[in-house]
Amino acid sequence: MNALLLLTVANIRSFIRDRAALFWTLAFPLIFVFLFGAIFSGGSTARTMGFGDLDGSDSSGRLREAFAALPNLELVEGSEAELTERMRDGELSAVIIVPAGYAETVAAGGAPAQVTVYTDPSQSAADGATRQIVGFVLAQVNQAASGRPPAVAPSFQSVQTNDLNFISYLVPSILGMSLMQLGVFAAIPLVADREKLILKRLHATPLRRWQLVGSNVLMRLLIAIVQTIIIVGVGSAVFGVQVAGNWLLIGLLVLLGSLAFIALGYVIASFATSEESANGMTSVVQFPLMFLSGTFFPIDGMPDALQTVARAMPLTYLGDALRQVMVDGTPFSPLWVCFAVLAAWLVVCFGVAARFFRWQ
Amino acid sequence: MTASRRGDADPVIRVRELRKTYGALVAVDGVSFEVRPGEVFGLLGPNGAGKTTTVEVLEGLRQPDSGEVTVLGIDAIRHADDLRARIGVSLQTAALYPKLTVAEVLDLFRAFYGHGRATSELIELMDLGEKRATRTQDLSGGQRQRLSVALALVNDPELVFLDEPTTGMDPAARRALWDVVLGLKAEGRSVLLTTHYMEEAEVLCDRIAIMDHGHILESGTVEELVSRRFHERAVRFDAVEGLTDERMAAIPGVTSVKHEDGVVMLYTRDVPATIGAVLASTDELGHEPANLAVRRATLEDVFLDLTGRALRD
Repeated sequence: MNALLLLTVANIRSFIRDRAALFWTLAFPLIFVFLFGAIFSGGSTARTMGFGDLDGSDSSGRLREAFAALPNLELVEGSEAELTERMRDGELSAVIIVPAGYAETVAAGGAPAQVTVYTDPSQSAADGATRQIVGFVLAQVNQAASGRPPAVAPSFQSVQTNDLNFISYLVPSILGMSLMQLGVFAAIPLVADREKLILKRLHATPLRRWQLVGSNVLMRLLIAIVQTIIIVGVGSAVFGVQVAGNWLLIGLLVLLGSLAFIALGYVIASFATSEESANGMTSVVQFPLMFLSGTFFPIDGMPDALQTVARAMPLTYLGDALRQVMVDGTPFSPLWVCFAVLAAWLVVCFGVAARFFRWQ
Repeated sequence: MTASRRGDADPVIRVRELRKTYGALVAVDGVSFEVRPGEVFGLLGPNGAGKTTTVEVLEGLRQPDSGEVTVLGIDAIRHADDLRARIGVSLQTAALYPKLTVAEVLDLFRAFYGHGRATSELIELMDLGEKRATRTQDLSGGQRQRLSVALALVNDPELVFLDEPTTGMDPAARRALWDVVLGLKAEGRSVLLTTHYMEEAEVLCDRIAIMDHGHILESGTVEELVSRRFHERAVRFDAVEGLTDERMAAIPGVTSVKHEDGVVMLYTRDVPATIGAVLASTDELGHEPANLAVRRATLEDVFLDLTGRALRD
């Protein structure tokens, strides 16, 4: 027991003195949090539209004011050619053109006056919003022209659902990703020690192999706890993510998830012949896990074939469970299924590694 | 030293018909020898002779194909776990935790045994005092070697295995290590060491086994090995053009003629007559023999006689 603890301390010392390892395990996930946090919470939802008034009448002026009065909408004026050019460049989300003779057509009261609206249907969200805005403004104008008071008036409330949700989604996801990386890389030091014959030297002492593996796993679990504290701490302190979950449940998930991925790391190391090949194989395993497990975007938005792949990935279930427990995220699978899948991965990987890991 | 139930006459190591192959390569081919309590026993041979494989089987690190190995009365093939606490091991090439300091590695290894010699004592013994707080990755080859030997002594073992302990050391460090080995012997410990340095084997070892190509060619004390083969002394000089082997072999008293790196060696029972004949012959050829010397046969000669080549790397 004493040997196990002292070896764990020695491992932690070696880890802390290895600047690169320290950076990749502790700073790298934080970079992800800051990067995505900055991208998705800094931008405003204000949209910019072009408004081309070719009529120059009081009527067209009232139309412009009706648009300008909308919250979160900035109007840019100019000629039709100029505005559509700027829209192609991506500066404007839509362009509204009021044709010459607009005031006369409205005053005549016969056929409705036409305004031209340029939108980009390929940007479905922006396109839909533009149609709603234009429809809303024109309904106001039509109703004013009819001289009767409105029967129903909408009241707009702003809720910034998208932004806050994304960061809340991201923090547990990045925690899951970090635990995955911590785990799959766990056995590489052991492969390196095997290659440098450190394992052989240790084997000539009374130290048992379970103590050797145990100290390595213990160290990883300690780092996992530190990672959890750092990522959740920064997520809530800097980006205001509310962690609502049960801390005991979070702790259990962090431990089970870490163990499952450490076992996966040992499976990789079992089939690696050198430190280099272990590194390569680990990268091959970690990238699909990173990008196909719903870490950066929900998997129900992915094509069916990829969803099937995602359902086979252990990280999908760890991320899903962490989101459910930490930020009350929408469940993709029931929590018990997540626990069961992670436990199954742990047992199977442990069995395979125990059978195939080579000590010499 | 712990007095065990074994009688004093019982060997600390007994190897019988040890055999180990790696695929088609036969690394150890039927090796048998014994090491007695309190002696320094040397396995001498060139790189690739099978010394390290033999030693690693005795340390319980490798499973042989066949043979019997008893170390400190324990079957080292089946019960290696019972052995580890009682032996000390210095491997030839093993690295150590690169980010830990000398003192930290010693403390750690002592924890594996649960008892042992104080870190400061070992650091002083191996003259690593200045490097106490240095990370092992920053040690020189010789310093690393000294730490490796210190680690072999950390559990106060009754039997110590040293595999090429002085490789990479400068002459001063090598002599210091020899003193440490002689000190172990004086304390009553048994030592099995491998080396490819003749001088090291002659200075340290009570008995020697000469290994080549997986076989033990001959074993015994240095005296036995030399006198068994050479009743004569060697007259040596730089090879002289035109002086044929036949002519030298015909000199009265000369029993054999050997060549090694451009040096001729005449083994003879009559040194003055041989030198006289050599000088007469070379004079006749218009030369003078350079670096003419007489010496008693050494391990080097034994090895040359056994294998037909010099033990140099």
